[in-house]
Amino acid sequence: MMKTTIQLGVLLLATVLAAGANAADGGNPKKGKHLYKKECKVCHSKSDAAGELTPMSKTMAQWDRFFDKDKHKAKPEVFQKLSEQDLKDIQQFLYDHAADSAQPQTCG
Amino acid sequence: MRTLVAIVVAQALGLAAMASPAVYAAEVTDNAKIAELKQQLAEITEELESLNSRVNKTERHAALDRITFTGDFRVRAHSLHYQDVTWNPAILMNFSDFGARAMAGEYGDPANVNSPLGKMMAANPALATAFQSGQLSGIMPYVLAAKSRQDIDNDIYYNTRLRLNMKAQVWDNVDFAGRLSMYKNWGDSTGVQVFDSWRAFTMDGTDSSNTSGDWLRVERAYFDWRNIGGSEFYLSIGRRPSTYGPPSHYRENELRGGTPSGHLVNFNFDGMTIGYKLGELTGVEGQVVRFCYGQGFESQWGNGELFGDTITKDTHLGGFNIDAINDGNHFLQFTLFAAKDINDGFKGTMAFPNQLASIFAPTMYQDLQKFDNFNFVTRVQPSGVIGDMYLGGVGYSYETDDEMKFFASFGWTRTVGNGYAGMFGGLLSDAVFTAELNNDGSEIIMSPSTADSNENHDGYGIYVGMQIPAPYGKFGLEYNYGSKYWTPFTQAQDDPIGSKLATRGHVVEGYYIFDVNPHMFIKLAGLYYDYEYTGSGTPVGAPQKVSDVLNGTAYSLLPVIDTAFDVNASLTVNF
Repeated sequence: MMKTTIQLGVLLLATVLAAGANAADGGNPKKGKHLYKKECKVCHSKSDAAGELTPMSKTMAQWDRFFDKDKHKAKPEVFQKLSEQDLKDIQQFLYDHAADSAQPQTCG
Repeated sequence: MRTLVAIVVAQALGLAAMASPAVYAAEVTDNAKIAELKQQLAEITEELESLNSRVNKTERHAALDRITFTGDFRVRAHSLHYQDVTWNPAILMNFSDFGARAMAGEYGDPANVNSPLGKMMAANPALATAFQSGQLSGIMPYVLAAKSRQDIDNDIYYNTRLRLNMKAQVWDNVDFAGRLSMYKNWGDSTGVQVFDSWRAFTMDGTDSSNTSGDWLRVERAYFDWRNIGGSEFYLSIGRRPSTYGPPSHYRENELRGGTPSGHLVNFNFDGMTIGYKLGELTGVEGQVVRFCYGQGFESQWGNGELFGDTITKDTHLGGFNIDAINDGNHFLQFTLFAAKDINDGFKGTMAFPNQLASIFAPTMYQDLQKFDNFNFVTRVQPSGVIGDMYLGGVGYSYETDDEMKFFASFGWTRTVGNGYAGMFGGLLSDAVFTAELNNDGSEIIMSPSTADSNENHDGYGIYVGMQIPAPYGKFGLEYNYGSKYWTPFTQAQDDPIGSKLATRGHVVEGYYIFDVNPHMFIKLAGLYYDYEYTGSGTPVGAPQKVSDVLNGTAYSLLPVIDTAFDVNASLTVNF
């Protein structure tokens, strides 16, 4: 029976490897958080004219659309000064903490 | 969309304005363009009308859809192996008191086989001989059955856990959150287990994480009222998010699953939290100070015998839970709790083990033997207050930008006994039994009279671990240790052998998580338990050295595990 369990584990592992599981899409959310604080919160904090923005302001799909299509149309130079990797990192952070993403479960 | 229409119209007008009689050839072309634009405008208008009707439907759906459900589903296969499971039952007996009462004739004439004392001596000839020869005096163990020792292998054990998370926005600053949980063994929905340990006891604090059948239970349900009166205060009341707290969430491969330290508290509690987001003042990200209050036991409602004889008390808990920093890289948490009026158990249900009937209820056992595979299910309630408890701790986690995670947690528990003991003991103390006559004076019964000690006991626990990225996922390694008197409230941890963090001894765990996709993972894990002292996970009873129980010099009313290991594979999907 123990052998069966091990065989089952090996079979599952083989399935995973065959599937080539890979959740990463090149963005580092931790680095993205630092960049978000440095680059985005400058204009998007409470009582700013540009309006407060947090990751929770949009859904995961809305953030993806914003980075893929809109590209900060209201002020394109903001995106233009950032490297492609920086933008990926910020996008990943915002995506990971979007309104419909998994959230830490606490009472606050 | 409106902008698009305006542009099209402007273009149409602009083109119309450019037309002039001097350019007749161009006019024809322009007319064709205008016609084409009109056609486009008509198509756009039609598309707009279609979009409007569709948006109306989604808008209506969104307005009526008041609650959002998410969830996770986990299937897990375990191979469980226990070594040297020893049962060496005895109770501490006050033989001096027994002798004095026997000499005074309280138990009847020992020469009369029909007297209570005569019946007892006939049923326990070895004990009678030892007593009469003066070997038994003072407080000594009264051995109840011969010692047994066995290894147990449960080669394959499957279980399924379903959790449905609920979320609803009540108002701009008010949310409701909840979670419904089902946790069951494959092929079992009885909801009640034969009582062989304090883990095998269906009760309020652990029923969402102790396999209990195919029904959904409300594991948590509470509201958050934030920024009260424009301040940084918040209030939350209900069934608390007090399970899967940090740093125990790493092994679950999920985000922080609860508010309090998972090293000290992993238990369903009903109560409230008043919190203040201090970080808004200090500038330290994630800094929150919380005062938590809850009731762990209701003593009166449903406990009285016809409204009377309730001698337990409500158990109230209160304390502070402080996130000193929580910025995504560093997490530092301080915990300090007090629990007032701990009772010698909880309200719950169990299937009564027949072996205990043979010891404590010989008359009933006469009939139970006729139904060898029957256990009667009974509601249990505690018998009295055994003292107070305090818990404290500090936990720190560090997550690098490259998703390497390291954590260390130190916990402290203190028990303050009051000298009272029920059948299984007092607060980290054993019961001393005295012999009394039953109501009609026909039989001698053993009753717990007092605890063998009312000393304070300090326990401590450490919990360290790491999780690092590895090919296709993550690799994790954890170790925890609990001292002799370590008594945290982590009984709701869903490890089948028992809450690993409640272990009085050592536990090592290694695991590998394969991320199949962002919402699905496979986890292979191995846990090795080495128990040093008995009674892990319960404040009732004096911890005995496991090696002493094994060699027969110490006793335990419930079976004692020496070492155990759990090899498991699980597949989890989040939706």
